[in-house]
Amino acid sequence: MQVEKFYYDNKIVKAFGYATIIFGIVGMLVGLWVAIQIYYPAASLNFAATTFGRLRPLHTNAIIFAFVGNASFAGIYYSLQRLCKARMFSDKLSWIHFWGWQLIIVAAAITLPLGLTNGAEYAELIWPIDISIALVWVLFGINMFGTIIKRREKHLYVAIWFYIATWVTVALLHIVRSIELPYSLTGSYSWFAGVQDALVQWWYGHNAVAFFLTTPVLGLMYYFLPKAANRPVYSYRLSIIHFWALIFIYIWAGPHHLLYTALPDWAQSLGVVFSIMLIAPSWGGMLNGLFTLRGAWDKVREDPVLKFMVVAITCYGMSTFEGPMMSLKSVNAISHFTDWTIAHVHIGGLGWNGFLAFAILYYMIPKMWGTDLYSKKLATNHFWLGTIGIIIYAVPLYWAGFEQSIMWKQFTPEGQLKFDFMQTVNNIKPMYWARSVGGTLYLIGALIMVYNLYKTIVKGKFIPNEAAEAPPLVKETSKKKEFWHRVIERKPLTMLLLSLILVSIGGLVQMIPTFLVKSNIPTIASVKPYTPLELQGRDIYVREGCYTCHSQMVRPFRDEVKRYGEYSKAGEFVYDHPFQWGSKRTGPDLARVGGKYPDSWHYNHMYEPSSMTDGSLMPRYIWLLDDKIDTSSTPAKIRAMRTLGVPYPEGYDKIANRDLVYQADSIAANLKKDKIETASNKEIIAMIAYLQRLGKDIKAESQKPLAENNK
Amino acid sequence: MLLFMRKKSKYILGILAGLLLMSLQPVWAAGPPEPSIFNNPLALILIILMILLLIIIAILANILIGAADVKLKKRKQTTSPVLRNSLLLVFLLISGSSLFAQGTVTETTKAVVKSIGGMQASTFYIMAFVIFIELAIIMAMLINIKFLLKSEKEKVILATEPQAEKLKKEKLSWWDRFNKLKPVSEEAELDLGHEYDGIRELNNRLPPWWLYGFYLTIIFAGIYLWRFHVAHTAPSSKEEFENSIAKADLKIQKYLLAKGDAVDENTVILLKSPDDIAAGKLIFSKSCVTCHTETGAGNIGPNLTDNFWLNGNDIKNVFKTIRYGINAMPQWQNTYSNKQIAQVASYVKSLLGTNPPNPKAPQGVEMKEAAVPAKEAVDSLNAKPVTDSLKAKSS
Repeated sequence: MQVEKFYYDNKIVKAFGYATIIFGIVGMLVGLWVAIQIYYPAASLNFAATTFGRLRPLHTNAIIFAFVGNASFAGIYYSLQRLCKARMFSDKLSWIHFWGWQLIIVAAAITLPLGLTNGAEYAELIWPIDISIALVWVLFGINMFGTIIKRREKHLYVAIWFYIATWVTVALLHIVRSIELPYSLTGSYSWFAGVQDALVQWWYGHNAVAFFLTTPVLGLMYYFLPKAANRPVYSYRLSIIHFWALIFIYIWAGPHHLLYTALPDWAQSLGVVFSIMLIAPSWGGMLNGLFTLRGAWDKVREDPVLKFMVVAITCYGMSTFEGPMMSLKSVNAISHFTDWTIAHVHIGGLGWNGFLAFAILYYMIPKMWGTDLYSKKLATNHFWLGTIGIIIYAVPLYWAGFEQSIMWKQFTPEGQLKFDFMQTVNNIKPMYWARSVGGTLYLIGALIMVYNLYKTIVKGKFIPNEAAEAPPLVKETSKKKEFWHRVIERKPLTMLLLSLILVSIGGLVQMIPTFLVKSNIPTIASVKPYTPLELQGRDIYVREGCYTCHSQMVRPFRDEVKRYGEYSKAGEFVYDHPFQWGSKRTGPDLARVGGKYPDSWHYNHMYEPSSMTDGSLMPRYIWLLDDKIDTSSTPAKIRAMRTLGVPYPEGYDKIANRDLVYQADSIAANLKKDKIETASNKEIIAMIAYLQRLGKDIKAESQKPLAENNK
Repeated sequence: MLLFMRKKSKYILGILAGLLLMSLQPVWAAGPPEPSIFNNPLALILIILMILLLIIIAILANILIGAADVKLKKRKQTTSPVLRNSLLLVFLLISGSSLFAQGTVTETTKAVVKSIGGMQASTFYIMAFVIFIELAIIMAMLINIKFLLKSEKEKVILATEPQAEKLKKEKLSWWDRFNKLKPVSEEAELDLGHEYDGIRELNNRLPPWWLYGFYLTIIFAGIYLWRFHVAHTAPSSKEEFENSIAKADLKIQKYLLAKGDAVDENTVILLKSPDDIAAGKLIFSKSCVTCHTETGAGNIGPNLTDNFWLNGNDIKNVFKTIRYGINAMPQWQNTYSNKQIAQVASYVKSLLGTNPPNPKAPQGVEMKEAAVPAKEAVDSLNAKPVTDSLKAKSS
């Protein structure tokens, strides 16, 4: 048969590789910065753009979408061409994808510190960026499927199955999570409210981990591990079972982020059981990776690429076992809202994603420059620094999470809480400090890699177009019966469709009843929409990223009810677009902070938190005292809320600012009584209005049983 | 064939034992308000450990039987007494392990009062004992396997060349057996002939523990959903909360009764002992100074050292204001015990007339201090009436 000659496009891989390195370092630096801010709040520089609440989203977005995203794209562009025996479908699309993605990242890096955010974890980017992401993602899909269709290899290798599932599921997740109603060029409200918004959010958030940080990276493992070890893949059968089981089961597990919350119990239980069933499919990937190394363990001792991969896969196995354990209600009662979760995600992030990204960089760059790695020794040093860094990062945080949670739950024999919140915080400050040391070691390791790769690049000569040859694909004529899955592997669109169907089921089963069945969210008559001033205050709360440290969800536990008040009910959140339940309690819960302190307390607390709470880790929010409330946006916001079903009266948007000024004046007058002089048009006034409203709607009813409880 | 059957039956036995343990949950949770043993993390861990060890035993037993069988075939002519003994031992151990598994099932249902880590002491001891026995069995099996493999090795050295090669193929570590791994030398047989950019694919069998583990999680899911949403033998979040409150309230009542510390706004008396005042001062400096300042001169909150009061000036009213809060004053009932609130209220009362610098302007109504008869200000919180009423309540 005639052999065709063609060229692999290495330039696009190089571009994505460079982007991986640059944004990886930036993302880690921001991470280190916020890690230091947690125990040294002054590191926020008292500057709005660099406070924890705005930088943490920047850190998570940079690591997920810029570092791991670019690494995945680099690996996909490298491996897809070689597995399809074809150059990418369109060089132009490749470059539009590359520059489009980098522009999105830059836009994120500008908007997030400016406080432009949707207020939903890992989906913070504002609506114009959301639309650009969707467009770029579609172009990437066209390019990928174009390449697959013009392939010279009859069957699709398992890595490509993972790429296909990744593409289709991320598209689905992103689009549904981004259904929002814009009220300005940069602002929008989530289409969903309260419990429903929470369900959509964690369906998205959990599966962003699954389909952005796991499936593409598993695909990379399936290509780069056998290549680097020069060993056959352990089990084709295991690949099939674990792939389909993984993508089907993963989607269901989102509600395990909402255990003991106001989410209906049945949805919580689905989250629990699907998380448990997820252990084996996840471990299938780990086994296929580690057993592929059988007979090559001597190479692991020599080759840094394999070293990184072994630790990466081990970390993957650990966190995919730990995750389901944390999804058990009794464990979750302890782990949730604490640093345990942070430690857990960093085993995955630093270990699995980071180390696998390093491994493929160490593999691809010498290959594309036609040379060997500059220094194996440096790479080995990087490996050890990174590994030790992960341990020093994670162990103190596990400790901190566990210890703090246990302290929260302790009572005196008289039935009083044994520790106030600040005592539990003071206790874990040393652990925060140790964590940043671990992070620093990891970062130093990454910098060593940059130097090593730089030296390698200087030593070699880049091969922009790598020659290859293969016979063209001829149409199948023989009627030989094939194994059923081999048939699917010949049909990329069937595979796409099957994946889409499988990943849709879990989401639909959980969302449709939550949206349509009334009894899932019992209404509470006393819950009323926010006043215009409170709404403005809430948007400031979202803007400042308060949800990164404060929850608004009192779980039905004795200690939480004692500490924060009556546990949260589903009906309380029906006007919350977006919901702000949060996922971490670096500071106390705020669900019922309304009326707990005088207005002047909040004023002083925002100006200098430690003046009100000795040892507080909260940064200062001095700009709230100077900046004016943007009242020009009020009518548009009220109109948007009305469209979303919040029952403001007809035409209220026109008179809303009148109410706003009236309420603001009364708060300013109240502050004056406590010797605080401030104009009533400052942002702090709106913030106080919002905080004083929180949880009050049902407070009158709830106080009685509490008082009786205590006798 | 027989060997094959035996193998299968071992797995089934292992799973059945696990199933039996799990299906017992409703029995344990017979009384709905009483939390089931499965809510106890320690118990759960122990049970999972027991099941895991049981599975390991089953697999090890298979390896042992398999290894012994191979040997048996080879020495058909000359039956070795050692071998027969070890075989016997294996059977004993296996039957023993399944017996123990059943032992757990029956024993753990017994109710005994003492508790360890939140579970009944007897349950804990039985579980620990079972785990110990299981570990002992595993150790014994490992030693046996090592012994068998060792004699195999000796055979290899003695045997002729082609035979030695054949034997080598059979030799698999327990790890390989555990995962159903074929020797690397036989890899060619597993090669599917797929090739992608130089990557070949083998078609190894699924590791049995992985596959059965997967089945187990699916069974777990079914039982979990059934218990929580069909049989309702497991408490909902709300029920769990209500149970915990009821249990805690009872415990607190008993404690206060025994200690004689019960006090509330109806029975509170001004405390005068230096110890109580000092304790009150400590609480004041921790929780009150942000609003009332260190000296009590007032800042966000009113001046506490003058004769002007917003919510009453007698000890009962001050106690009430602190306990439940009013207007801007936060409630402290969830932070401090009633005794502590009595202490801090008494401290506040002791500040009267201290005339600190920079006092806040007077707020509220002027109230003259009622003359307190010296006798009434006894340093005691053991107010009898409350204790009596509590006694009546709890009986």
